[in-house]
Amino acid sequence: MSKEHIKKLFLGGIGLLVLLYVYFTFFMGPLNASRAGTEAKIAEVQGKTASSKAELAKTARLEENARAAVARNKDLRALSPEGAPIAWFPPRIRTFLNSQKIDKAAVRLEANTPPKEKELEKWGRYAWIVDIPQAEFETLGRAVAGLENAEPLLAITRLRIGPGPVATTEFQQVSLSTSVLIDQK
Amino acid sequence: MPLALNLLHEELREQRQRKRDPLKISMMVGIGIAALLALNYLWGGYKLLELKSKLSAAEREWAKVEPKVSQAQKRAEELTTTINATKVLDDIAENRFYWAPLLSQIAHCVTPNIQLTSLEGGADEDKGVTLSMEGTAAGREPRAVAEDFRQMLIEQVGKDRSETKVEFKTLEDLDTAIAVSGANMPTAHFNLTVSFNPYPKKVEKAAPARKKREQQE
Repeated sequence: MSKEHIKKLFLGGIGLLVLLYVYFTFFMGPLNASRAGTEAKIAEVQGKTASSKAELAKTARLEENARAAVARNKDLRALSPEGAPIAWFPPRIRTFLNSQKIDKAAVRLEANTPPKEKELEKWGRYAWIVDIPQAEFETLGRAVAGLENAEPLLAITRLRIGPGPVATTEFQQVSLSTSVLIDQK
Repeated sequence: MPLALNLLHEELREQRQRKRDPLKISMMVGIGIAALLALNYLWGGYKLLELKSKLSAAEREWAKVEPKVSQAQKRAEELTTTINATKVLDDIAENRFYWAPLLSQIAHCVTPNIQLTSLEGGADEDKGVTLSMEGTAAGREPRAVAEDFRQMLIEQVGKDRSETKVEFKTLEDLDTAIAVSGANMPTAHFNLTVSFNPYPKKVEKAAPARKKREQQE
């Protein structure tokens, strides 16, 4: 091989190296980067879709399981009619006591505070005082039982039974302090 | 062996040398490599296009699912809030103190020679239920009648409740006599307190956390 040939071979080798460099840097480099980017994006979108589908299934299951709770919640909320509680609660209690043969009951609002339970942010805790000027002990007991059964969100916090203004052994004066959870519509 | 005459040997040598020209060979090898590389590039491009179409299909699917997901997330949040609120409301309703059974139990304890003049009580989740009763006991031994009443209260009220306390605050003989079944009987005035805790203990909830802490220590 002549000197001329070696020189030409050397130049050819350099040319080949340049060609490979240009190919991998300017052609295959961006192509591979673009492919890696696309693959990552596909994985991301597919992951999002899969987790979303799982979320949809979970919500469907939750919807199925929550049916009883939703119905119960609806029932409990239905205990609080539209409007200001001061407008409907005292008449409701008076009507109930009348049905239990207890007349002339007076219901007044003592306080209105938000419940301490964070889950009940849409509810309000109302403290009412029910004054009954005269009631017979047995009738009162039945009325209290009826009230506790009819109003699941009512709790009697204080009860006072004492002699009335007219001293009789049959009738007593009664005062009930109650705490009622009312849906703030 | 026949004798051969080569008059063009110089020309033939040149021709052979041209064929063996390394530059020409390397050029051919280079062109071959370049063709292979171009094919590889085209193959890569094709693969990329395939991936792009896969991506656009995935994105189309995501675009279909996305609005449903945000709706579902909102609904799940709503349902969780409803479930939690209902649970708390049910707990409140179930754990409240019912006065009617207590009044009935007290009524069962009041015999004809006991007269209650006042009854006052309160129910508090932290302090429990406390009840104060004032009344008069009549009988040959009015204090014994009052004590019988206290015992009956312990028996009746403490029947379903542990840690029920029924204590006299005052018990005094009175000068006045009351007619019981046609006979005048001496009387005693009493003041009783009844206390018990019907609410579930809150300590139960804190116990596992404390146990864990103790284990860590």
